[in-house]
Amino acid sequence: MPHRDYRWLLVVSCNLALWWLTGLANHFLGAVSLPGGHYLSVHLYLGGLLVTYAALRLDARHGLVATLFTALLCDAATPVPFGTSLALFGLVHAFLLYGRQRFPREEVVFGTVVALLANLFLFLALSFLLVGDNPRPGEAWLRLFLDLGASQLVVALATPWFLALQECVFGLARLHPETGRQIAL
Amino acid sequence: MLPKRFDQTRPFATLGLILLVWLFLPLLVKSFTRVTFFELQAPFAAAQSYVQDLQEFWALRVRPRNELIEAGRDLARLNASYELRLQEAEQLKAEILRLENLLKLSPLPAFRFEPARVARRDFTGWWQRLVIRKGENYGLTVGAPVVFSGGVVGRVSEVYSYTAVVDLITSPTFRLAASATGDTRPVSYQGGLNDSFKPPRGTVEFVPLDIYAAPGATRRLVTSGLGGVFPPGLFIGEITSLEPSTDGLFKTGEVRLDERLGDLTEVTVLVPLNPQE
Repeated sequence: MPHRDYRWLLVVSCNLALWWLTGLANHFLGAVSLPGGHYLSVHLYLGGLLVTYAALRLDARHGLVATLFTALLCDAATPVPFGTSLALFGLVHAFLLYGRQRFPREEVVFGTVVALLANLFLFLALSFLLVGDNPRPGEAWLRLFLDLGASQLVVALATPWFLALQECVFGLARLHPETGRQIAL
Repeated sequence: MLPKRFDQTRPFATLGLILLVWLFLPLLVKSFTRVTFFELQAPFAAAQSYVQDLQEFWALRVRPRNELIEAGRDLARLNASYELRLQEAEQLKAEILRLENLLKLSPLPAFRFEPARVARRDFTGWWQRLVIRKGENYGLTVGAPVVFSGGVVGRVSEVYSYTAVVDLITSPTFRLAASATGDTRPVSYQGGLNDSFKPPRGTVEFVPLDIYAAPGATRRLVTSGLGGVFPPGLFIGEITSLEPSTDGLFKTGEVRLDERLGDLTEVTVLVPLNPQE
């Protein structure tokens, strides 16, 4: 890693902002009441979006550092064994890195598809790991599928914005995400 | 130069190596990392909560003066009634102390009441948690019971410098010894039925066969006091149905929880005065 090369930090900062925004959205979604007096009870999970840019656009080393830092941030804020997101995010990152040369990875549409698939995998993996704690796992899956549907919808809508945000951050820092070279504005 | 086949699998090899190192990392290092990464995010949740409080303050400032006068009058009435109840409570406390001394009973667990604002709600299908705006700075301890006017909220599961995480009674990981009102036998309560568009529910197990409940004739479920964490008699929910369990020795059923748990803004942590006991 060259001296003062902080590309991973830019991605982690963007991811932290997205993580905070998602938490904020979930905070308010948790209290949305319906006419019958019941609550909406929908939760958004955007883990797939946190891996996409680092895996598709950054070089292998910075991408991995960004993904692992982001995973630790997620792990610290969730009641899962510490390292669960590290392993899952790392796996997704490795898969994307392995196959990214074969695809138009700078295209927004491709980024959106990748984010959707990554999010689907992460959500299902976490669900399989955690659903056993529930007294009635069969019933819990109904709720989880609703959460998954809402999350995928938000991922589909938010990915173009989030990828553009990270592009914009790199543009402001005058850095090329993959090579780390200075670029002219 | 590495062969092409290895070069392609390098991302997986690197990940495997990292995970191997992670696996053998001492627990102390992992705990420290977890706390560090949580504390890094804590100001975001706290700041958002303070901003929301400020927003509410300014929203209240624009209320008509008559409305505020009426609210003040209602509060004065409530205060008067609470003053009376406080006096009664003092008398009852003295009576309990007298009986404890007379019968040489061990004293009931004593608590300090610590009100705290809710900074963040995290209600997923996997877990149900709250982040509150008080932590080690107010002497909160892991395992401390958390209550609100409607009964039990949950239990403090993690304590950080100035925030704490509360595991809600709606969470699948939350278990508690409880009892039906009018019965001293303990039953096991577990949260976890959090369907969308429905009120939160929990489950009860090991209910004696002579206890009955139905949607039209519910039974109140309260804390039993066993285990010494929760004081006895705190309201958990209403048992709405009971069915014989598969072994036929006990009953299992569903508990309807307070719907206000979904939009709590303030809770009270019962901090044990003698945590070592």
